[in-house]
Amino acid sequence: MAPWQVVGLSRWPARRALRTMKSTENSTSRDSNPPVAHRSFIETNVTRNTAADTSAASAAAGTSAPSAAEILPELYRQMSIARAIDREAVNLQRTGALPAYAPLIGQEAAQVGSGAAIDKRYDFAFPTYRELGVAVAMGVDLTGYMATHLASWHGGLYDPVASRFAPIQAVVAGSVLHAMGWALGQKLDAGLAPVGRAPNEASAHDSSNPDANEPAATEPDTSSAPIGAAIAYFGDGASSQGDVHEAMNFAGVYTLPVVFFCQNNGWAISVPTENQVAGGSVSARAAGYGLPSEKIDGNDVAAVYEATARALNRAHSGGGATVIEAMTYRVGPHSTSDDPGRYRSLDEEQSWRARDPLKLCEKRLRDEGLAGDEFFTEAAAHALEVSEQVRAGILSQVDRPMHELFDFVYAEPPAALLAQRDRALEEIS
Amino acid sequence: MAEISFELPDLGEGLVEARVLEWLVSIGDMVTRGEPLVEVETTKSAVELPSPQTGVVVTFHAEEDDLLHVGDTLVTFEVDDEQAGIVGTVPKAEAPERRVRLQLPDD
Amino acid sequence: MTMTADTRPRTPHTETRHLSMQQALNLALEHSLAADDRTLIFGEDVGRVGGVFRVTDGLQQKFGAARVFDTPLAESGIMGMAVGLAMAGWRPVPELQFDGFSYPAMNQVISQMARMNNRSRGTMPMPITLRLPSFGGIRAPELHGESLESLFAHVPGLKVVSPSTPNEAYHLLRQAIADPDPVVFMEPKSRYWQRGDVLLPAPSDTESDAATAEHETTTPVGTSNVVREGKHATLISWGAMVSTCLQVAEYAAEDGVELEVLDLRWLKPIDAAGIQASVSKTRRAIVVHEAPLTAGLGGEVSAIIMERCFDALRAPVERVTGFDVPYPSGALEDAYLPNADRILNAVQKTLEYRRG
Repeated sequence: MAPWQVVGLSRWPARRALRTMKSTENSTSRDSNPPVAHRSFIETNVTRNTAADTSAASAAAGTSAPSAAEILPELYRQMSIARAIDREAVNLQRTGALPAYAPLIGQEAAQVGSGAAIDKRYDFAFPTYRELGVAVAMGVDLTGYMATHLASWHGGLYDPVASRFAPIQAVVAGSVLHAMGWALGQKLDAGLAPVGRAPNEASAHDSSNPDANEPAATEPDTSSAPIGAAIAYFGDGASSQGDVHEAMNFAGVYTLPVVFFCQNNGWAISVPTENQVAGGSVSARAAGYGLPSEKIDGNDVAAVYEATARALNRAHSGGGATVIEAMTYRVGPHSTSDDPGRYRSLDEEQSWRARDPLKLCEKRLRDEGLAGDEFFTEAAAHALEVSEQVRAGILSQVDRPMHELFDFVYAEPPAALLAQRDRALEEIS
Repeated sequence: MAEISFELPDLGEGLVEARVLEWLVSIGDMVTRGEPLVEVETTKSAVELPSPQTGVVVTFHAEEDDLLHVGDTLVTFEVDDEQAGIVGTVPKAEAPERRVRLQLPDD
Repeated sequence: MTMTADTRPRTPHTETRHLSMQQALNLALEHSLAADDRTLIFGEDVGRVGGVFRVTDGLQQKFGAARVFDTPLAESGIMGMAVGLAMAGWRPVPELQFDGFSYPAMNQVISQMARMNNRSRGTMPMPITLRLPSFGGIRAPELHGESLESLFAHVPGLKVVSPSTPNEAYHLLRQAIADPDPVVFMEPKSRYWQRGDVLLPAPSDTESDAATAEHETTTPVGTSNVVREGKHATLISWGAMVSTCLQVAEYAAEDGVELEVLDLRWLKPIDAAGIQASVSKTRRAIVVHEAPLTAGLGGEVSAIIMERCFDALRAPVERVTGFDVPYPSGALEDAYLPNADRILNAVQKTLEYRRG
């Protein structure tokens, strides 16, 4: 049995029924990993630290995911959609419809795999500007998502609260702290204090249990509803920012339900990871904060999905934060204004194209008899159809009304700002 | 002036409560840090607690023979403002000097 | 120091207590925690020890470590966490221990807290009150005496306020916490121990009584306060400098000069109409602040006066401020801060001015 066929449960929308999860032990077996490593620092053998063995707890918490094998065809379909929209966005930029765009090509597995593991009943994603695949997997309104690249609205035009997908961030790292804070909010909602207990505390939540407010780091609470988890997206470049370190430290001190999901795509614009990350590994830093970590093959959608599900289950059951470093590659430029030819070789890019996450997934689906020609033809057609819809949506977006300059600056705007608005509307429109 | 309160400390050995046997100071007393403050009895022994603060005792939060849990407020001191914060001093509440005199214009 | 009496009406809906500003702030936090169980207080040393200025003293004991808690020593982390908590529907009241410690948090304050309501098109409001012990006057170490109001006031999306008395401190903090937008609440740390009457809403049995008390003790966001009436010139100030200006007004009265003192309170939004009303009457204005002169808020106030009171002015607006230097050590603190003589000199200059 393939290792990713072991896990079973109900995260996937089409499979809500709960089943008892047996074990995740096999999911880290080495033979599940692809053999090729084109960058010296990638570890194709998944290394798991202490994130293991949350299976019983997560089963009790009732938030476990279906196995990757069960949904591998769906993951492939979503990766196809992400790639088709990504290609369309580049085309739209090249034809003047989009001012700029940050392509995700090469990172489909890392994004779709992690996004598909998110349970929107409980969890919340904190994206950067290159998270189209996560948006696809989470069902975010994709025209609304693309609105940020269309320069319609900085944070996008989808509803972030309903989508469980925070407004898009144009600057990296700051949102990692937001994920940590949001996660603290979930812990507080669960009746738990950040850390320890106050002297003489009026324990409103569980006066019968003297340890009710102790962080459940070692003994996950398996009796209650899942604690909502935040998943923070960031890259190897952002990992240099103090905010990321502060977030991991807070998450460690407070035992917070966060998944720190680093897509190490090899490049922060023109600076390679070896000149960015001292020690060469973002996941290795987790140990310093007392957090478990996994360094995974970010181009293996099943591995990404399973690692994310494990980390989320751990968070749901009170086990705290996990750092995942998904090793992948930014096949395209940083943005449509960037020329990678100035800082890296074509050979390097070509070698990564050989590890195309869609091709890897297709091979597995075919090898295991899970999908054939008919499926791939249909998936391609479906992806094209969705990307055409998004394209049409983008092209039909109207100019923003001028009053929106002023509409959302404050919840209760000062009179002076309203006066500025009224005068501007009179003079300019 | 400012007020600072202290709670019954964790007296160790897993003890969670203590009974006030005798206050060794009186309300209004000026006590210095380290001076004997109160005698309390745990399930294991009677111990004398030194004052954690220099200041004037303004409130006992427990009478003699009362049982307190660790973390319950024990005593409140009134302290000089200079002692009230951890960083910086408190400005003197005196009027600033003046030398400049004003003269109204004729109109 | 002499403060004018609070002229607001005492009614059955209110009670008066004599408190230091530190105690008034503590009481405001206690009442805000009690009024809304989504309100959270956190920061460095605010829990067990009750804050370096004891403003949060006893609150963790009263409300528990899930409502009032200590954070690791990381200001960006504190403010980023506040943003995340607000995104999750909480009402955070973070404390940054000193004004100068807000510099490491400035990215989260400006890039995130101030913009998230806008970025999310109003779906993620930021009802955060950043409590910031501010200004100088306590012989503190470096970066413990900054006056950052013009910096914060320049950031779209923020509101900025600074109380001058215990009564103002109580009501403005309650108001800031209740506000749906991010408010930078600048506490004049040199006035923490100054006492005054605080007019509180009395415990009321009915909602209409509570609403009446609220109405009687609170003015709208962005409202200034004439703390002394006069006719020859207006001293415009905020925070710790208000009591200095009141003292100057006492001195001026000895010389037969009647100065009006306007406590701006809100530094964003600024009460342009309040400034206009006072200066139109006195026809002379002197702005007093601790912050350095250049690009200080005195320039903004001066521009408002020019725009609204040009014809009424009998003299150019004077500014008495800190200098364009780093906030000094204690040895030179008195030389830096606006004092009575510097303010009196500026007043005299406006009195003597003749059009050329």
